Amino acid sequence: MNFQVYNRDIGVGNIRIIGVSSSSILMVGDVQTIQLSSVFDTPAESLIIGPFVPLAPEVR
Amino acid sequence: MLQRTSSVDRIKVDGFAFSSIFQIGDSTIINGLNRALAVQRERELFFGREGNFRNYPIYSIPIPLPQLTEPLTFQSHPLNPIIKVNNIQVIAFSSSSVLHVGNSKHINMEARIKHIRQLLPKTDQAPD
Repeated sequence: MNFQVYNRDIGVGNIRIIGVSSSSILMVGDVQTIQLSSVFDTPAESLIIGPFVPLAPEVR
Repeated sequence: MLQRTSSVDRIKVDGFAFSSIFQIGDSTIINGLNRALAVQRERELFFGREGNFRNYPIYSIPIPLPQLTEPLTFQSHPLNPIIKVNNIQVIAFSSSSVLHVGNSKHINMEARIKHIRQLLPKTDQAPD
């Protein structure tokens, strides 16, 4: 593939954002390669109805 | 590769939390990783030292990325080598996120979140 880009005038007035989170990026500039990946797991098994049991403890 | 200059007049951010970065100027490599175990309980009850990433495969499974299958030639022609932004206003950055003004070469960001909800048994619930 032959990929050619002509960067002409670009001017932005206002950028208003409430929040940026979870390995997201707000960028003003050029970048050669960018890879963003996200895994979010909230399956049916993660809805636990019953007495509150602590999760397995952290180990050091 | 010819690159452009970023020009931002005014930036207002209220807060950066949990390994977030505000980068002014060029960078070469950015690697961001965010792992979170989000537990919501119907009643306010939290035990100390709980939660172990090793028990959940979501924190270790490899994330497959599409591979480049054909050769790529890239050419950019910066006819106007300036990216102009007047005003940026953000309330908050959190969890390994980045505000970057300037150019970069390679960016790789990853987020892994497991969300667990624990509800009381229906019989234990107080009538509304």
